[in-house]
Amino acid sequence: MEIFEYAFMQRAFLVGILLAMTIPCIGIVVVLRRLSMIGDALSHASLAGVALGLILGINPVAGAAAACILASLGIEAIRRKLPRYSEMSIAIMMSAGVGLAGVLSGFVKSSANFNSFLFGSIVAISDLEMYLVAGVSLAVLLMFLLLYKELFFIALDERSARLAGVPVGAVNFIFTIMTAITVAVAARTVGALIVSSMMVIPAACAMQLGKNYRQTVLYAVLLDVIFMVIGLFAAYYLDLKPGGTIVLISVILLVVILAVKKLLGLSD
Amino acid sequence: MIRFTRKDSHPVRFHIRQVTATLLAAICLLLSLSACSSGGSDLHSDDAIETETADPAVASSRLRVMASFYPMYDFAVKIGGDKAQVTCMVPSGTEPHDWEPSAGDIAALEDADLFIYNGAGLEHWVDRILGTLGNQDLVVAMASSGIPLRTEGSHDDEDGETDSLYDPHVWLNPQYAKLELERIRDAYVTADPDNKAYYDANYQLYAGQFDELDRLFSDTLAPLPRKDIVVSHEAFGYLCDAYGLNQIAIDGLSPDSEPSPAKMAEIIDFVRDNEISAIFFEESGSSKTAEAIAAETGVETLVLNTLEGISDEDQRAGRDYFSVMKDNLASLTEALGQR
Repeated sequence: MEIFEYAFMQRAFLVGILLAMTIPCIGIVVVLRRLSMIGDALSHASLAGVALGLILGINPVAGAAAACILASLGIEAIRRKLPRYSEMSIAIMMSAGVGLAGVLSGFVKSSANFNSFLFGSIVAISDLEMYLVAGVSLAVLLMFLLLYKELFFIALDERSARLAGVPVGAVNFIFTIMTAITVAVAARTVGALIVSSMMVIPAACAMQLGKNYRQTVLYAVLLDVIFMVIGLFAAYYLDLKPGGTIVLISVILLVVILAVKKLLGLSD
Repeated sequence: MIRFTRKDSHPVRFHIRQVTATLLAAICLLLSLSACSSGGSDLHSDDAIETETADPAVASSRLRVMASFYPMYDFAVKIGGDKAQVTCMVPSGTEPHDWEPSAGDIAALEDADLFIYNGAGLEHWVDRILGTLGNQDLVVAMASSGIPLRTEGSHDDEDGETDSLYDPHVWLNPQYAKLELERIRDAYVTADPDNKAYYDANYQLYAGQFDELDRLFSDTLAPLPRKDIVVSHEAFGYLCDAYGLNQIAIDGLSPDSEPSPAKMAEIIDFVRDNEISAIFFEESGSSKTAEAIAAETGVETLVLNTLEGISDEDQRAGRDYFSVMKDNLASLTEALGQR
């Protein structure tokens, strides 16, 4: 097939499918904990890290990861202080990140260079980015499988998880760090738009179909891989921007799933 | 969950109306503020480069010259020498095409003796700003006047949304750069006739160097086997015309927008079919997309500087029009010399 003759498209499929397998695993837990907007918040906060990295001469992706970790720990801290309004912690960290990025960007010498780090694109992925995504994806999948029961328990009810003897603090910490690193790397590589939508939309679809937690996770991963593949094909053959295409395809399929459920009278 | 409830509904409704009114007032205020400040959003005048002022007495006797962006600044310094204090309006590292003067820049123009700009649509703000200036004595020089301009997008560019009709990058042809230097010399003489001999001598000195650079370009490039260059910014039309080259611009590859994969495939096919050996960037690492294309096709990425804004470090290192153009020649030689 013509589409696979180009190395950049092969990379797009490889990286896209890897991320489509890992991000929904994080996404399910994040959605159940009412933190759906965390992908958005962290990718905005990472802009401040990119700017700081460029100013201090550190690798901007490392800067982005550091900023994401700080921001996600900040979100956790605020969330613990104000457990009733957990979404507020996200809004606060997002504002702080955007504000800091805005101020810092004034000190970045080369604006062209800054832009190239801000906006990732799934069709323009460098060697380093590909290896980073592969490494992070494996680490996240491993964490998700090892902490499968703990994460499930915490996602449903943090208090009873604690009573049942789950080391909530430690698991939360690991999960927060992994989320931060995934968003930092993925947002640089494929763009913030894809990352924040991949956190939430596959989970939303899977929750319509899955009968239990395990099924929901499997559906989310499967559906996200399907969205990614259809999106890349559509972008290539219809000459569209890939990021927006992938997101729109997933939203359209969510609507289709909801409509079909309604027609079949399955919704409760 | 809802903590803040009111027992009677009437005060709540009243309250909401008040809030709405306050919000509307705030929006109106914001709109009027943004309208006021839209002329110059960034106060960048602090970053502007200035030639050193030794002592105040000398500074006041020197001609105050405002140059719009780097090549104009460089040429103005070359002619003005120690008789002028030249300020570059567009700060280094900033793209002059999108730049607009701040309130501070306009205030500086009110105090200036001479204002030099390139023209041909590059500084789109000039006409608007000059109309509002109260400075009657300001001598204004459009350096590109009299140079035959290329129309922009002479290649098949269907979605050319640029409002300027002409390609402004005349200074990239050394002969045209020499003509601009001549215009700038004339402007200096108009503003400060007493020092005519000094400005003439400086012009003669550098005019010779432009001729030399021109000869160097034609002698070096003429025997090279290849004539096609692929560039990420279509800025080298005058240079290509002068030395029989052909520029192919990678459109739609600005670093801040996502490329469509079909367009990338098209460029990759073009590079392969025409056996292109290098893609030229303005600045290294400035476009992920162009780097992905270079990686895919195995061609080199080289820097071809438009001189639109050279960095502070380069300026401190004493680099100017001639040294940057010689680097450009080296890049071109490397790409076009391969068989």
